[in-house]
Amino acid sequence: MSVQSLYGVASLIATTLASLVPGVPGYLVTLLADLIFGAILLAASMINTIVLIWYERKLLGRFMDRRGAMHVGYAGLLQNFADGLKLFRKNTYMPSEADRLGFYTGPTAYMVSSLVIFGVLPISTGWDNGSLPLSLLLALVIFSFAPLFIFISAWSSNNKYSLMGGMRSAAQMIAYEVPILIAVVAVVVVSGSFDLTTIVMEQQNYWFAIPLVLALIVFVAGMLAEMERIPFDLPEAEAELVEGWNTEYGGMLFAFFMLADYLRALIGSILIVLLFLGGWTLPTYVPSALTNFPLAGIFWFMVKTYLVFGVFVWVRASLPRVRTDQLLRVGWLRMVPLALASVVLAAALVVVKCLPLIGCVPGIGS
Amino acid sequence: MAASAKPKEEESPNPVLWVARPMATAARQFVKSLVRPSTIVYPFERLEDPKFRDQVRVESGHPIGIGEVWDNYRGVHALNIATCISCNLCAFSCPDLCIEMVTVPGGDPKHPKKCPQIDYGKCSYCGFCSDACPEGCLTMTTRYELSVSRRPEMVFSPQKLHEVFERKLPMNPIRVERPENEDAIRLDAPLCIGCNACARDCPTNCITMVDTPKPTAKPGEKLPRRIWKEPVVNDSDCVRCGTCISVCPKECLFWGTHP
Repeated sequence: MSVQSLYGVASLIATTLASLVPGVPGYLVTLLADLIFGAILLAASMINTIVLIWYERKLLGRFMDRRGAMHVGYAGLLQNFADGLKLFRKNTYMPSEADRLGFYTGPTAYMVSSLVIFGVLPISTGWDNGSLPLSLLLALVIFSFAPLFIFISAWSSNNKYSLMGGMRSAAQMIAYEVPILIAVVAVVVVSGSFDLTTIVMEQQNYWFAIPLVLALIVFVAGMLAEMERIPFDLPEAEAELVEGWNTEYGGMLFAFFMLADYLRALIGSILIVLLFLGGWTLPTYVPSALTNFPLAGIFWFMVKTYLVFGVFVWVRASLPRVRTDQLLRVGWLRMVPLALASVVLAAALVVVKCLPLIGCVPGIGS
Repeated sequence: MAASAKPKEEESPNPVLWVARPMATAARQFVKSLVRPSTIVYPFERLEDPKFRDQVRVESGHPIGIGEVWDNYRGVHALNIATCISCNLCAFSCPDLCIEMVTVPGGDPKHPKKCPQIDYGKCSYCGFCSDACPEGCLTMTTRYELSVSRRPEMVFSPQKLHEVFERKLPMNPIRVERPENEDAIRLDAPLCIGCNACARDCPTNCITMVDTPKPTAKPGEKLPRRIWKEPVVNDSDCVRCGTCISVCPKECLFWGTHP
């Protein structure tokens, strides 16, 4: 019973609770541990998401020469919790001509499918929820469910803006799913594994961002489109589509969309950190004092994730929204060849076993 | 043959122009704003705080001191009840009809002292009242914080305006340059009945009633029934409030030019 992992913490709580009541069968203890594990994961991901919204508001404020949320909690930290409470209390209206089933299942499924991905993402050594040999593939597959649910909720809203937003969302996500997956192939070629834990462990000597910088660029651009953030926020374009596919949603259903958007932004940042920036590890040649304190892995993981998200906010603050034709042309005509080139480059690296600037590194392509 | 049949190829976005340069601009702005953003957290810090002194300047170039805003700012009025002469000029000059003269303690029962009460729900801060005030007792301060929670609180009684005066806030003496003694009160003597109303109501007591010789009646002529006195206005003390004109029962006082 180790507290060196999240499931260890959950089962420790479960056994402690079970020991209070004599004669509890073992499978109930396991079930309780599973539930506690899920609850902890849910709470951690939701709190991180809400803090992420706060982080974006503060950063964006500085980019726009203002201060962002200021008054609720320290530096406005609790502002988004207050906003969430407000949305939770609001009544939810449905257009009279809308399709009831799709209208309610769309946001819920969008939210749930985004939450499920947290189950397969490793956070630190031992905190990886069981090593899955295909966890990267599983995460990307669940990640790409989203256009379907967006399209369901857009279509069932019975609103032309929603439907157009849903159409754009579907077109955009399919256009960028392809280069993302090809860029991931480059990582897989170099690391030789679909397991996220193994991929991180392969980056002990150097981060994949250095040799696979092409794949990183493609992956970041694709992730921006997948998360529907500026400059690729065509499906939500406020000025032209009135918030796009969530025009008709209010109250907690809107909060589901909002939270799921930021959940997906968090997952995108985490994936970039895991695939390209060494996850929770630092390169072996940095001083060991930096990695030799309790929960150092989780600390560095969070720092990197928030820095990567900061870059997304930076992009949002800088760039204008692209047109649909520009978006699709860049997606199909630029990103796909770039991703293919990065795969070729990765294959060449594995054959030569040398990095352009760092030199020959033992372990590459092993 | 025309060689221009080929359609013009649409330019693809230039990565330097469309990505790199905006991001560099945003990063520069971020670093600048990280040190000190332009926003001031208003209720907790104010433009007139010393730390913003080098940042905020009025157009004339004078920096703003502590507790001050722009020196020509027209804010809440300050009223010195002690020097108010109840001349009503402020209420006359008000274009928004927001000034009402209300009785304040201090006058005698015959001449109740009346001072302006200002409804800030109507006031447009034009400053005409302050300009019109002959004694300089109604001025505008530079105080700009005037939020209240209930509508009746927007009406400032003379006592409340006096409290503003007692705070010794920076004043904005509004004075429009104009020729001195442009006009003066004149009397249409044959109409006067010597009733003393003008002298009684004059806020500056510049009207005195002087005796006029009672003419001898010609035979058959009937002299009017009147008091044989006439008002004489001391023009140097007169504030040109027009109270005498409005109270005159025979309308024999009027605005005339200064001799």
